[in-house]
Amino acid sequence: MERRKLVSAALVLTLLGALLFMPPIASVFQIRRLVLGVPAEVIYLFLVWVLLVVGAWWLSTRLPRDGEDEG
Amino acid sequence: MLSADLVIATGIAYVGLLFLIAYVSDRRARKTQSSFLRSPFVYTLAISVYCTSWTFYGAVGSAARNGLEYLAIYLGPTLVFVGWWFILRRLVRISHNQRITSIADLLSSRFGKSSRLAVLVTVIAVIGIAPYIALQLKAVTSSIQAIAGARAFNEGTLRGVDDVGLAFGVAAGMALFTVLFGTRNVDAKEQHHGVVAAIAFEAVVKLAALLAVGLFVVFAGGGFEAIFSRAEAAGLDIYSTGTFDDRWIAMNVLSIAAIICLPRQFQITVVENSDENHLRTAAWAFPAYLLLMSLFTLPIALYGLTTMPAGANPDMFVLTLPLAANQDGLALFAFIGGFSSATSMIIVESIALSIMVSNHIVMPIVLRFTQGQGVGDGRGVSRLLLASRRFSIALILSLGFGYFYLTRDSNALAPIGLISFCGVAQFLPAIIAALFWKDASLKAATAAVAVGFVLWAWSSFMPSFESASPVVAQLMAEGPWGIGWLRPEALFGLEGIDPLANAVFWSLFLNTATLVAVSLFSSQSALERVQATLFVDIFRRPVAAGTLIRGSATADDLRFVAQRVLGIERATALFESAGADGSEPTPQFIDHLERELAGSIGAASAHVMLSKVVAGGAVSLEEVLQMADETQQAIEYSQQLERTSAELRDTARKLEEANRQLRELDSQKDEFLSQVSHEVRTPMTSIRSFSEILLGEQRLEKAERQKFIAIIHKESLRLTKLLDQILDLNALERGKAGWRNVPTDAEAVLDQAVEVCTALARQRQMRLVADKRATGISIDADADRLSQVLINLISNAIKYNDAPDPVVEVRSRRSRRHYIIEVLDNGPGIGRDERTLVFEKFARGAAGTATAPGAGLGLAISRQIVSHMDGKLELVPTRGRGACFRITLPLSETATV
Repeated sequence: MERRKLVSAALVLTLLGALLFMPPIASVFQIRRLVLGVPAEVIYLFLVWVLLVVGAWWLSTRLPRDGEDEG
Repeated sequence: MLSADLVIATGIAYVGLLFLIAYVSDRRARKTQSSFLRSPFVYTLAISVYCTSWTFYGAVGSAARNGLEYLAIYLGPTLVFVGWWFILRRLVRISHNQRITSIADLLSSRFGKSSRLAVLVTVIAVIGIAPYIALQLKAVTSSIQAIAGARAFNEGTLRGVDDVGLAFGVAAGMALFTVLFGTRNVDAKEQHHGVVAAIAFEAVVKLAALLAVGLFVVFAGGGFEAIFSRAEAAGLDIYSTGTFDDRWIAMNVLSIAAIICLPRQFQITVVENSDENHLRTAAWAFPAYLLLMSLFTLPIALYGLTTMPAGANPDMFVLTLPLAANQDGLALFAFIGGFSSATSMIIVESIALSIMVSNHIVMPIVLRFTQGQGVGDGRGVSRLLLASRRFSIALILSLGFGYFYLTRDSNALAPIGLISFCGVAQFLPAIIAALFWKDASLKAATAAVAVGFVLWAWSSFMPSFESASPVVAQLMAEGPWGIGWLRPEALFGLEGIDPLANAVFWSLFLNTATLVAVSLFSSQSALERVQATLFVDIFRRPVAAGTLIRGSATADDLRFVAQRVLGIERATALFESAGADGSEPTPQFIDHLERELAGSIGAASAHVMLSKVVAGGAVSLEEVLQMADETQQAIEYSQQLERTSAELRDTARKLEEANRQLRELDSQKDEFLSQVSHEVRTPMTSIRSFSEILLGEQRLEKAERQKFIAIIHKESLRLTKLLDQILDLNALERGKAGWRNVPTDAEAVLDQAVEVCTALARQRQMRLVADKRATGISIDADADRLSQVLINLISNAIKYNDAPDPVVEVRSRRSRRHYIIEVLDNGPGIGRDERTLVFEKFARGAAGTATAPGAGLGLAISRQIVSHMDGKLELVPTRGRGACFRITLPLSETATV
């Protein structure tokens, strides 16, 4: 992916994470039901969290290095 | 068996270990530039100083009381690190370039190196962090007591010591520890490799301890599912109903702000950062660390709630669960983990705050009272800095202890931490503006931070004293002077929302609103503008050497200042590397020196200090900018002059051209006049002599007489024709008045003209070709005049053609909007130098002058006529011999056939 798209992807990932952690989307998973023996909203939050970690790792290896950036 | 004495001894031993790690790392860092210590993972682990005893103990308590809510404290930082590219990277780059030492330094530097703002930020930070320090003291105290209270004989030497005494002991010990640990030397860049290594080690210890307890609980509880189902069976609400509400959002906002604004986070993430690329690793590794830290929080809380007796403090479950299961080793490990998280926080936080206090409060005062001169010998400032830092550490811990003392009756850990978070969050709007908005001004930032601080103090800080002070309790219940809408937990009549959300919303909202409004209505000083550009455009250009201080400081003066701040060794190295010994220091060097000094004492103090030394011939920044402005004006003025002179040159050239043409015309006219007089004189002479003969000689024969009269008649006709032409041209030149263009069949006119000329051509044995023709052409023209032009052109072509096989060709065609007639011949052609002149009055081609009759007015008349028909007559270049005249006339719009 080219540089600008990567930076956009980083922004989108951050904003998406913020959206997914907040109501109303987070409230959707408050269904008072267990998933794998654990309340669904707990599974959901940790799942998003893991995805953010993986996404951040993926981007961190690809975002341009020092010296090749201008803003 | 665990006893209080044992855990205290363990704690002290652990501190000793930390010392050892710090000492060894410092030495190794000094010897080798690239070692394990500078790896991104050590950096990431050090950032994990974010996880304090609040995380270690308090999160479980929070989860036991409010369910999933505790997660918000870790989700915010996760988002900030996932988006490291946008904020953290900027902060790190700016801080490296500007040698930023703290968050107060950052804001002060951005807003015109203002000391006042730095003082404000420092004071707010010190007050705002006090509850947070208190939280650590409380957690350590509670953890020691939890072990001491578990069994009667555990108390040991703590028998009879209450929690206040214990907390005081902990605070004093921590202060001593931090002083010994963090202020051994004043580093040029405020980087403490030893401390960072010790903090990273502590991060590993606390994670391992918490995971160990978590695994133990999951194992003891029979797995996640069993823990949750048993908790549900015990009547607990395991679902976090209503968690995602205003309080959840407020906590997320606070944790986002905290990971950027907390002095210790800024210290570790930004100031201690040795390589920008370390952020890359931290971007995912730190969120992963947070995730691991919070993985077992909920199970521990639920397991504790189901198995521990009612009334047990959920904040201490991490410690009391292993104790209850007689897992003394695990309990001790958990204690060490909790102790680690508390000590690491206190060490880094108090180092960061002490740097702020000494750089922004002590240094400016010293500078003011000493006029920047007599601070003792060469090492005076270094020593003063160390002393003031030690004093600040003691002050900070005593403030923390004071807060603990006043609020000792409240139970939970997490709410105390949130008060601090809300306090430091007041820096966030100013920081974001500092990074992204050039127009944010010093006045606005100061006002915004102050407004935020006041609202925080009212709505968040003060209510925490409710249990300690009846006055506060009354204020909370009724508002000041009974004004209901000023009640701290329902500000401005905003009732029914969580008190925390209330405080966060109002303080940050009014903070931001003030920042924006004041920025829009206030102006920036020159230095502010310079700094704003340096900050906001950090990635746009290489940082220019701002020659901010100029003047006639001698190298000795500067060296004196540098030695006092940086120490003799570093100062010498700096001067030698810059080659600034002896010679007059350049502005670049002074700028460089200022930034180096800023690395030790903050931007504002460094600026003041150097300004004082370099004063004398110094030029203020305003003057520099004005000089730049004047230079700019001079450049613009000279550009203007250049433009004007270019215009003048152009005009002169045109005039010269016109003059040349005039002269040429003049000479043509002279020539013509002589020719005209010749032309006129010849017929006049013959008319005169023939009429004299007729008058004098009566005996002439009739035939002879007839002949003479005919000559007179012919000559007078010639004269008349010449005069007619001159009059005609004169009339045409006077304008279009009386001229009428009507739709005309142009081809018919051309046919007629060709026919008229055919006789002339035949007379001269010449071919007149007219077969390439357009058809059905209608133009707006005067048919007679057009015919006159055509006849003139064709007859000229015939008259002047001296080729051995003379041919004249007439052709016509139509283009999109025009009708074009061309008259070509294979005669001598017209010289390049005559091309423009042939159309002038009284001009004749060189070839024609001698041989052909005529006054040289034909072409001038023709051109006038064509232009009256909105067309043009021109001489187009031909290949080979001959000339080609072209008439271009617009096609009639009304009658296109």
